[in-house]
Amino acid sequence: MRSLRAFLLGALATGLVAYAAAAALAVAAQAGERSLDLSLGPVVVMSVTERADTTTTTFGPGLLLLAVAGGLVNLALAALIRRRAERQVHRVD
Amino acid sequence: MIGARDTITLAPGVSVRAGRLEDRVRSESWPLNASAVFVLERAGRPLGETVSAFAKAFQLPFERAREDVLRFVWELNGLALVNVERSGSRIRRVREWLALAARLAPAGAVPAAVTRRRALDTRSTGRALVSCLVAVSSRVAAVAGIAAALTAQVAVAAGPSGLGAALVVGASTGLGLGLHEAAHAALLHGVPSALVTRGRRTSVLHAAVPPTRRMIVAVGAPLGVALIGILAVGTGSFAALPLLVVAGCPLTAHALALTVVGGDGRVACGL
Repeated sequence: MRSLRAFLLGALATGLVAYAAAAALAVAAQAGERSLDLSLGPVVVMSVTERADTTTTTFGPGLLLLAVAGGLVNLALAALIRRRAERQVHRVD
Repeated sequence: MIGARDTITLAPGVSVRAGRLEDRVRSESWPLNASAVFVLERAGRPLGETVSAFAKAFQLPFERAREDVLRFVWELNGLALVNVERSGSRIRRVREWLALAARLAPAGAVPAAVTRRRALDTRSTGRALVSCLVAVSSRVAAVAGIAAALTAQVAVAAGPSGLGAALVVGASTGLGLGLHEAAHAALLHGVPSALVTRGRRTSVLHAAVPPTRRMIVAVGAPLGVALIGILAVGTGSFAALPLLVVAGCPLTAHALALTVVGGDGRVACGL
């Protein structure tokens, strides 16, 4: 249960921050009237395309991938902190 | 650092009763020995005066008395049980701090930060929000100023619009801190609480609550601020309002406090 909580909170945090960062980059690209493509290999995170007078911003599944990665990192860090704390409890000098 | 002309006061919610130091927020009390009572009875007087009286009363050399009194005051201040009231102008204090920092620099240390505890009224959600925003206002202003100044170093390259964005980032960063702590206080309505600042750390000290409520208090504040940020970012993106997007980013960054990197996240993850 604690592991699931650590994963979900990490995924939520990373997802929110990644979305905000991508949106800020998209707005900057739009202001500069430039196209922008952000992707993790073949997976699109965000793309801004300028065509004639139209600007299209697309948020791709890369955001979800980043969120899952953030969740896994948080889960791993939580496990590491817990293990260290347990080791200290069972230690005497 | 604590000077001879500085005074100490019992922090809000802390009292001395029948030879015991009582903390209403922690719902705990500790027995005091004669020397501790002697120092605390002289709260409000300059510490230098207290040290002289202490040395005389307990027949100790002045240096030893000063060491004992200062160690006791530092310990209580570190536990947010006494506040240190600084004397003299702010400029003089900054000068003294810089001089001490320069002396400590070769040892790779910085002067110890003083803890300050402020009262929070958590009788209702509204009172908790307002009292917390008032208590944290000076820190909000400082954080906003520092964030704006730091962002301006980079944003100045973009011209006048960049400076506007730097101001928005500063205001949003300060506001984020205020809302974060106020949300903690609001979620603690009915629970004795106090706002504690120490160095760059700001926290809400509160009485013991059940684990589920503790988790809700820890998660609710960063999540609430982050959701306000996401709302600003989303609205700014759809309505083509770049400054609203910029304002939303520092607020959304509070989501990182949900991870084990932040104290709230560690509580939420059961660590």
